[in-house]
Amino acid sequence: MARILIRLNENIVSEPIVSEVILANKVLVAILAAHINSKGGEIVLDVPDDEVDKIVAAFRQKGATVTVPKLIEVDTNRCFSCGSCVALCPVEAIRVAEDLSIQFNKEKCVGSVCSICVDACPARAINSVKYSNTEGICSSHNHKLREK
Amino acid sequence: MSKLNQKTRTVEEINQKILKGDVQVLTAEEMKKLVESSGVEVAFKEVDVVTTGTFGAMCSSGAVVNLGHSDPPIKIQRAWFNDVEVCHSGAAVDLFIGATNSCEKRPFEYGGGHIIQELVAGNEVELRATAYGTDCYPRMAIKTTITKDDLNQFYLLNFRNCYQRYNCAVNCSDETIYTYMSKLLPRMRNATFSGAGELNPLMNDPDYETIGFGTKIFLGGGQGYIIGEGTQHSPKNLNGTLMVKGDAKKMNPEFLQGAAFTRYGTSLYVGLGIPIPILNEGLVRKTAIRDTEIFTDVIDYSVMRRDRPKLRRVSYAELKSGAITVNDKHVRVSSLSSLKMAKKVAHTLKNWIEAGQFTLTTPIERLSLDTVVKSMRQTQEIPFVSNVMHPAVTCMENEEIKIIAERIVTKAVNHIVVIDINGKLLGIVTSWDITRAMAESKKALADIETRKVITANPDEPLESASKRMAQHNISALPVIDSEHKVLGIVTSEDVSKLLGR
Repeated sequence: MARILIRLNENIVSEPIVSEVILANKVLVAILAAHINSKGGEIVLDVPDDEVDKIVAAFRQKGATVTVPKLIEVDTNRCFSCGSCVALCPVEAIRVAEDLSIQFNKEKCVGSVCSICVDACPARAINSVKYSNTEGICSSHNHKLREK
Repeated sequence: MSKLNQKTRTVEEINQKILKGDVQVLTAEEMKKLVESSGVEVAFKEVDVVTTGTFGAMCSSGAVVNLGHSDPPIKIQRAWFNDVEVCHSGAAVDLFIGATNSCEKRPFEYGGGHIIQELVAGNEVELRATAYGTDCYPRMAIKTTITKDDLNQFYLLNFRNCYQRYNCAVNCSDETIYTYMSKLLPRMRNATFSGAGELNPLMNDPDYETIGFGTKIFLGGGQGYIIGEGTQHSPKNLNGTLMVKGDAKKMNPEFLQGAAFTRYGTSLYVGLGIPIPILNEGLVRKTAIRDTEIFTDVIDYSVMRRDRPKLRRVSYAELKSGAITVNDKHVRVSSLSSLKMAKKVAHTLKNWIEAGQFTLTTPIERLSLDTVVKSMRQTQEIPFVSNVMHPAVTCMENEEIKIIAERIVTKAVNHIVVIDINGKLLGIVTSWDITRAMAESKKALADIETRKVITANPDEPLESASKRMAQHNISALPVIDSEHKVLGIVTSEDVSKLLGR
């Protein structure tokens, strides 16, 4: 699956754009996070790898902006493995490993639209990171591309 | 009695073995496994020392520093390290860096705990100080940089460390709260707990048989001493604490880490470990304690009072499992203490003893077993929401806007609380909402009411309710109980009337 961030401005936020794209392309997407009000919205979707190009084009055609969501990164030098982030994560991307260190799963993490863990870290080891290549959409299995 | 069958051993005997290099040391974790597999007698024969450890946020920590005298000399009145104001605790150049002192430029983010960590790490910090000037101390201001090597003394001096056990925190309110127990999501969407449970030093010797004044310990990656019971030491309900001191110049920043709790402030994570000499079989049994036998309370931190509701008792075994059940709700739990670092403390201390670098001490004085914690004597009462709230004017969701408008006029209020047939809160409408409905020709209450209502609790201080009204730019809060039943309303007028009294 590939993760994309859809932004809707206030002119189109009330339109059923996500439903339209899903129906028109007959594709199953997972909505990982959504923040929507009358001024606009941000939606993070997980899209099947082989459908990404088609879906991105469809959203852009409807007037939405499509980018790669900002990621959450953990500075392992600062983290002292307390684990106060673990129970906060809504997608269980953070877990306590066998050796009691804290493991962060980038594949599962929803990214900066969630950020629920960021201000709960007493070591301030969690940050959201913006990648320079925001136009390149790629599979979350292939972080190398995203980090280029 | 032959030596093989002896039922006790002394600290002196253990120290002889340490110096000879044949002492048997286990961490608390290893000891529990040994007792379970081989029994008390074997464990007594085979083990001389059990090492314990904890690594948690310990806010009542700090460091005493002596700067040496400047030329001309200064009798410091106020002082800052990297813009963190510290306490002036002595004659002229002695300062106390409290872990929770906060940086003026980055409040809540950087503070005394971070300064201590930086100094221990060997980093340079900026010192600023001011004074009023005397004939003997003429200097009135100073600015310089220092490292730990420039200090005469740099002692970690912690008033209250190593809580035997601590609470598990949840938040039953409808809003996220930020506490020293970290971020607590509304409606018990998470829980946090603190303490190392079965690895905690005091839990492995709960009668303080071997732990007391003068006990040499692992402190912050160096050696330290227990210098008495900690403040708020409460042994009768298994909430013992320790006051400790150690030479911070020889400590290790890995075991002393500055921390920031959003909207609470800064703190210091302290690594602390105590070696327990296994003098008799009783101490074998004590050090065999498991997380399943150590209990604490789940406490609702949304109640802004000293005595907060206890929702249930829970064992550290349940807490460490990652989830607990509270009021039939599955709640995921996080540890605030680092269990990984607690184990590392116990292992490091074990290595020191095995290598002959650390010998054991007999306490000069035992810790008190009957100290009781008192609450503060207060000579002035403060108002609570329950003191000023009054009955709310209410309506049902199916009532017509016109009827509600009439009610606003006849009752002379600005807020109408929308309730269901059971009296539970559904929403709120203000005279402004009604005016707007008229202007926009809206007929249904559902179109104009506010459903995400900011509320108050009868037991909360009026000051905090007032602060919340200001924060959200609103002028009234429905007062509700834990089941969302409307008990009344408190308005900004009530607040100003009381303050104007």
